[in-house]
Amino acid sequence: MNSISGALRTVYGWWWLVLPPVSGVAVMAMIIGALVVAPREIVEGEVQRLLYIHFPSILAAYGAFAVVAVASVVVLWRRDMRWDAVARGAATVGVLFTGLTLATGALWGKPVWGTYWTWDARLTSTLVLFLIYAAYLLARAMADELDEAAARFAAVFAILGALDIPLVMFSVTWWRTLHPQPIVLRPGGNPAMPPEMLLVLLIAFLGIGALAVWLTVLRSEAEWLAKRTAALRAVADRYEGA
Amino acid sequence: MSPAMAVVLKDLRLAWRDRAGWASAGAFATIAVLTYSFAFDLATGDVRPLLPGVLWTTFLFAGIFAGGQSFARESEEGTFDALLLSPVAPTVIYLGKAIANVIAMLVIEFAQLLLATILFDTNLVSVELLVIVFIGTVGAVSLTTLLATMSATMRGRAMLLPVMALPLLVPLLIGAVRATGASLNLEAGTAPWTLLLTVFALWSAMLSVLLFPMAVER
Amino acid sequence: MEHLMQLEFLFAGFAVFWAGIFVYLLLLQGQLRALQREVDRLEERLAEAETAAAPRPTPRP
Repeated sequence: MNSISGALRTVYGWWWLVLPPVSGVAVMAMIIGALVVAPREIVEGEVQRLLYIHFPSILAAYGAFAVVAVASVVVLWRRDMRWDAVARGAATVGVLFTGLTLATGALWGKPVWGTYWTWDARLTSTLVLFLIYAAYLLARAMADELDEAAARFAAVFAILGALDIPLVMFSVTWWRTLHPQPIVLRPGGNPAMPPEMLLVLLIAFLGIGALAVWLTVLRSEAEWLAKRTAALRAVADRYEGA
Repeated sequence: MSPAMAVVLKDLRLAWRDRAGWASAGAFATIAVLTYSFAFDLATGDVRPLLPGVLWTTFLFAGIFAGGQSFARESEEGTFDALLLSPVAPTVIYLGKAIANVIAMLVIEFAQLLLATILFDTNLVSVELLVIVFIGTVGAVSLTTLLATMSATMRGRAMLLPVMALPLLVPLLIGAVRATGASLNLEAGTAPWTLLLTVFALWSAMLSVLLFPMAVER
Repeated sequence: MEHLMQLEFLFAGFAVFWAGIFVYLLLLQGQLRALQREVDRLEERLAEAETAAAPRPTPRP
């Protein structure tokens, strides 16, 4: 156990050397690539350039939610509160990026579809995802930092949420595909994407992915610090009260 | 008598003793159906297509509020901790509460179906619809009971519970509204909604039984 | 005309995205700084209490 946490600390030290520069450079390259290098999409025009932040954002959010699920299992299994901090950090970043996906998607949808919002299957499931993890954060924020029962409750809720996602996807697809919408979804899945677009998209994956990992690390550290502070305060109060 | 039976009977007795709480859940559901019926009647002439949505949002909210209450007394009196220390398996404790909650909710829902039959002039007491309501209630109540147990000691739980439960219940809501619509010959598509509802009910019941012991472990 | 509209939405999308990230980072930085300060203060408090208590151990109540 000690060697594992030692190894984790070493990796953590490396992250500080690697993540900020990598995400910084990749994000710069992504902005230039998305706005200058990538060709203009013929059907949707300039606004299609939002793809390079919209699509990587939702993938980063999915990654973050996967981390939440794994960390929550470890919280229940090992009762290690450090993983509770990781789960909270990842959930915050997941909610942030889901929110950014919804926001950029709405701004993309207005000129292309003619509406900011529609109860399409994918939009609905993304919104439900946002709501589930926002509720998770809310529940966690309502409880005391050191409340282990609340941490386990949140972990159970996160696992429920993760296992609910397939059901949500399934149900909204059944619900919507039976009522075809006049709106054609963006042709993002088009395999005949020009190589420049693909390259910029790959850089965007790298940049936003590294940014999300870095933000998760920062946030988890903040949560862990908050726990340590609360524990220290409890000790100090007991000491001075005695 | 087996301990499992004893726990279920204890929870039913508790629910009966707390009948004022359940009556207020029933009153809430009645007021909700009346308000919906009234407010929608102001907006549109034909309220019948809205009926499945009215019923299920009412059922879900009433179930969440009532479920949140159902553990409050036990956690206040400390009997919940005593029960956890007893040799009874946590799964049995959970099942006792969930079964009592399902029975109480079914009574409330049946009353709402009768009320809506009159208000919306549509026969809602059919075998098909009762089966749908039963499956949907099992799915919703098993999940809300789990969440209510775990949040029993939390502050702000009354507001938090719907915020946590409803996003998880979206598949159930879709399946239940659509299945109810189909049984009332409203336009509802052709997907197997009752199957979706059943899958969700099994999913939530099984997961709750599995996760409850981990959640309450001291 | 339509072309111009599209640029506005593109700009708005990027602006919202980076504003979101930036605000998040600012909030995080503030939180981290406040926490680190409190940890330091508490550690000092503990150390003080320890040195004060060391010469004559307080009798247990």
